Amino acid sequence: MLRYWSYIAILMTLISCSGDEYAVVEDLDENKELEVPQPAYFPELTYDINENPPTEKGFELGKKLFYDGKLSSSGVISCGFCHMQEFAFTHHTHRVSHGVGGALGTRNAQPLHNLAYKKSFNWDGAAAHLDAHFIIPITTEVEMNEEIGNVLEKLKDDPSYQEMFNAAFEDGQIDTKNLFDALAQFLVMMVSAETKYDRVVHQGTAEFTAEEQAGKALFDSKCSSCHSGELFTNQQYMNNGLPINPQYDDKGRGRVTGNPDDDYTFQVPSLRNIEFTLPYMHDGRFDTLEEVLDFYDSGVEETPNISQEMYNENNVPGIPLTEEEKEKIIAFLKTLSDVDLTLDERFSEF
Amino acid sequence: MRNKEVFFLLPILLLLSCSDDDVQQELTTELNLTFDHHVGGEDLELSGQIYEKNAGEHFRIDTLKYIISNIELQLTNGDTFKYPVEESYFVINEKDPSSLSIDLEDIPADNYDKIRFGFGIDQSNYPLNGVDNFVPTAEENGMLWSWSAGYKFLKLEGEYGNSIAEVEQKFLYHVGSHGENLDNYKVVELDLGETLRLDQDGQSIRLDMDVLKIFNAVHAFEIAEKDDIQVDPVNAPKIAENMKNSFQVDAIVQASE
Repeated sequence: MLRYWSYIAILMTLISCSGDEYAVVEDLDENKELEVPQPAYFPELTYDINENPPTEKGFELGKKLFYDGKLSSSGVISCGFCHMQEFAFTHHTHRVSHGVGGALGTRNAQPLHNLAYKKSFNWDGAAAHLDAHFIIPITTEVEMNEEIGNVLEKLKDDPSYQEMFNAAFEDGQIDTKNLFDALAQFLVMMVSAETKYDRVVHQGTAEFTAEEQAGKALFDSKCSSCHSGELFTNQQYMNNGLPINPQYDDKGRGRVTGNPDDDYTFQVPSLRNIEFTLPYMHDGRFDTLEEVLDFYDSGVEETPNISQEMYNENNVPGIPLTEEEKEKIIAFLKTLSDVDLTLDERFSEF
Repeated sequence: MRNKEVFFLLPILLLLSCSDDDVQQELTTELNLTFDHHVGGEDLELSGQIYEKNAGEHFRIDTLKYIISNIELQLTNGDTFKYPVEESYFVINEKDPSSLSIDLEDIPADNYDKIRFGFGIDQSNYPLNGVDNFVPTAEENGMLWSWSAGYKFLKLEGEYGNSIAEVEQKFLYHVGSHGENLDNYKVVELDLGETLRLDQDGQSIRLDMDVLKIFNAVHAFEIAEKDDIQVDPVNAPKIAENMKNSFQVDAIVQASE
């Protein structure tokens, strides 16, 4: 009799715990956590990877989702359609990005790298968190023009997704949270720090040419107050005096905050991989870095809320540059190119 | 003898093994919340009835929707029962009767004297963080700003004019938080008036919301001054403040089965 009760007690102990620790051990075997690269000289991570730790299966699922047209209403526009790897995940050759049915947006797709270090997202900072960003391209009419609810229905109808969600997440649910978590797991792994600049300045394994070195000195004195730090952006919203395009009259951050003081301000972009991410500016109006520097030299206009940083010592808006100086700065900017990122098979569609 | 030791040890193990599972033996019950919308002393009737508000303006309401969240009940001993956050997000939509009645489950049977709920979505959960799965609901109800990854906490739309005959000019109030810059989330706290004794199923708290107070509670709005208020750092916080003051507890009743 005693033995009988002992068995029941043992059984109950096991049952009472079956959902907890044992499952975790099993998961660790099957679904390894991935490490988000954190170069020592980068700023602190802004993405809380403890809340959503990237795993092999989550990353794999995120990648499939990133390249899947199911996320759009037409079934053909994927995230990767506008964020092409060979151009550091931008929409090369398209000034403003194209969406479903050939619809045109009003802005140029931003590059995807070092997102785990970004404080806010989109040209206007409309998303304060990476996971929240996904709502914007998926639901915007001129982008993927789809509803999150419909995306989930389409994924549920696809048995391969059910399998992948099961493998990636403990609860295996095909829901908004897991959809966004998987996409984020894929994206936070895209860390770009393998450039000549990094090798020269941080690893001591390469040297700048004389031109690059001179370009760096010019950059430091003329550009780095806004394009500051190791990500080459102060992550602020500023107006660089770009003439207002009447076709869009894009108020930038002003639309998000409703504050007129924010009108015409846009996120100061990172300059890492700038060589690949043409065309330039929020509306993609410049095709080359030469045009960009020509603008800073002689095209700056005193539009509302222009940044104080844009005024030179004569209190005139603009950053005067000689042709020679422009060439040197561009030579330096090209040391910020990370070819590995554009070729890395982990992030490739095929 | 050995068997006997195991016999005494195992129940202890069993208890220990479950200690963090919050196994509660206390009784739980259900509670219903019902939202009634009025305009002053009259029932709200969408897209027909014309009402008068402050400043002599007349208006009609076509859409009234808002998000409530973070439901809490305060016990008479001062403690708080928090309804599970991820399950406490709702869109209240006057046009959809099923949205006006919320059934809460697993409430500890106890005595309560206050109810609290959020208007909108608080910053700690904004726009996601644990409540991502509310996104499709908000989307279906048109309570999502797709271009800004944020929620509309309130959608109030209709027509207005200076007299009953002139009610044809459209107005629109869409209020939400503006990212992390402007937090328009509000906590509504209401005395239950009498002690809510939750010892049986089928109790219902009837909440009244007076639409007139959206226009005139802490701040008075003349619709004609600005009839399109959306991402508006001056007016949106005032409307949110008015919303916070537009609710009251009408009664605690035995819900009809």
